[in-house]
Amino acid sequence: MNQSNKTYHDKIVIRLIQFSILWAIAAMLTGVYLSAELVWPTLDFGQFWLSFGRLRPLHTNGIIFGFGVSALMATAFYSVQRTSHTPLFLPGLAWFCCYAWQLLVLTGGLSLLAGFNTAKEYAELEWPFDIAITVIWVCFAIVFFGTVANRKIKPIYISNWFYGALIIVIAMLHIVNNLAIPVSLGKSYSLYAGAKDAMVQWWYGHNAVGFLLTGGFLGMLYYFLPKHAERPIWSYRLSIVAFWAFVYSYIWAGPHHLHYSSIPEWVQSLGMVMSVILLAPSWATMVNGIMTVSTAWEKLRKDPALKFIVLSLAFYGLATFEGPMMSLRSVNVVSHFTDWTIGHVHSGALGWNAMITYGTFYFMVPRLAGRELYSSQLAHLHFWLALAGTMLYIMAMWAAGVSQGLLWLSVDQIGELSFSFKEVMASMAPYYLLRLVAGVIFLFGTVLMAYNLFMTLKGQLPVRVTAPPVNPAFAVAS
Amino acid sequence: MTWFIFAGDMLVMAFMVGLAIWAGNRSNDKEIRETAMIPLQDEEEHG
Repeated sequence: MNQSNKTYHDKIVIRLIQFSILWAIAAMLTGVYLSAELVWPTLDFGQFWLSFGRLRPLHTNGIIFGFGVSALMATAFYSVQRTSHTPLFLPGLAWFCCYAWQLLVLTGGLSLLAGFNTAKEYAELEWPFDIAITVIWVCFAIVFFGTVANRKIKPIYISNWFYGALIIVIAMLHIVNNLAIPVSLGKSYSLYAGAKDAMVQWWYGHNAVGFLLTGGFLGMLYYFLPKHAERPIWSYRLSIVAFWAFVYSYIWAGPHHLHYSSIPEWVQSLGMVMSVILLAPSWATMVNGIMTVSTAWEKLRKDPALKFIVLSLAFYGLATFEGPMMSLRSVNVVSHFTDWTIGHVHSGALGWNAMITYGTFYFMVPRLAGRELYSSQLAHLHFWLALAGTMLYIMAMWAAGVSQGLLWLSVDQIGELSFSFKEVMASMAPYYLLRLVAGVIFLFGTVLMAYNLFMTLKGQLPVRVTAPPVNPAFAVAS
Repeated sequence: MTWFIFAGDMLVMAFMVGLAIWAGNRSNDKEIRETAMIPLQDEEEHG
């Protein structure tokens, strides 16, 4: 048996978890404020920086780049060293990634508040930030792939394939979509124009969802679910097939964001067909995950971390069924430009991304702190608050979205709109209020988790985790 | 143009299906089992 006694670098994981939770609270608070502005529009007090247009990208960037990417870095660093049986490659560079990324999120957020915005959804940051993102992302890639290259065990575990796809594809999307001509420090113009710009933007936008919010988080799932359920993934072969099918199908699906627009019809059809094909790899993963825990129900009943992870799988299945259905042109004619899309996004963001992240945090923090979770009861309460908040949110938005779509399509006998835009929006008031309540509930749960994990880390004990011996038949020859 | 794109798409699809089947079958059952066990035996805690 080969054994490496080098200690895994886990302090950086703790720091990234702390930053991730900090951004989650800040960005969710912004989201709650935004939803309050939709109920009481004067809440911006006439201040530009409090206006919906400034706060909305702050909310999405904070969630995706602050909360999401910090969590992905934390879990990638935690799992890649363990599955490779070797500590992180260039730990100093990993620390640089950690702090430089937080500085980027902070300054980028301030620039959005100040009104610097490229007007490309999820790529709003101006060119100096785009260059900084590229540099930090390359450093992240060096640390991750360097660790994989240094591995002491021959096979590359499936979670690392997903994290690897996240790093490579996001780099490609980010660079291509953000190619622009700067005219000043705070303003640039996209290299693309018109319909081409729209196609490149949604190639980026949809695959940012695909490879960051889906692929990266599937990396989390494939590592932390078997780890926590204490049994291997139900079908490892299925996970490999699902990976290749996922990376192939997702990259084509972007044009479904541009149905009934000026892009060629065949491009719209292609996007729609590939979106429907995506159901296969998505549900293959869901079935694989559910079957993995199918013999661990007793553990599931008692363990809040596993509860979060398994519930996230259910929402993953829901969102990846709903997405392909919404990509059908006949459904999209109702759903496009309505709050149904917001409901769909949040069934993924709250139900899938946030829940699985919470599950992994509840799993990792006690182990990293060398002690039990401060309060299991608080974690259970958080679980029910998160579930209630998510369900209330998406049901309110489904109802609002379907109502909007049908009211906008309604015409009278001479073909004029039956309802004005103002009338339709006025009828949304109860749903928007429900969404605000849902957001407050979800945010409260997140604050409870922050307190629980803070108290767990407060009594932190020294823990040293090393790589175990490797079966010589699977060891990398040194 | 539509048929050209469709045929090209199907060819790429056939390649990817082939790649997925190849990647899924290139290891024997023992190797697959061992790989699937990696997360369950990847750390030793020292107090």
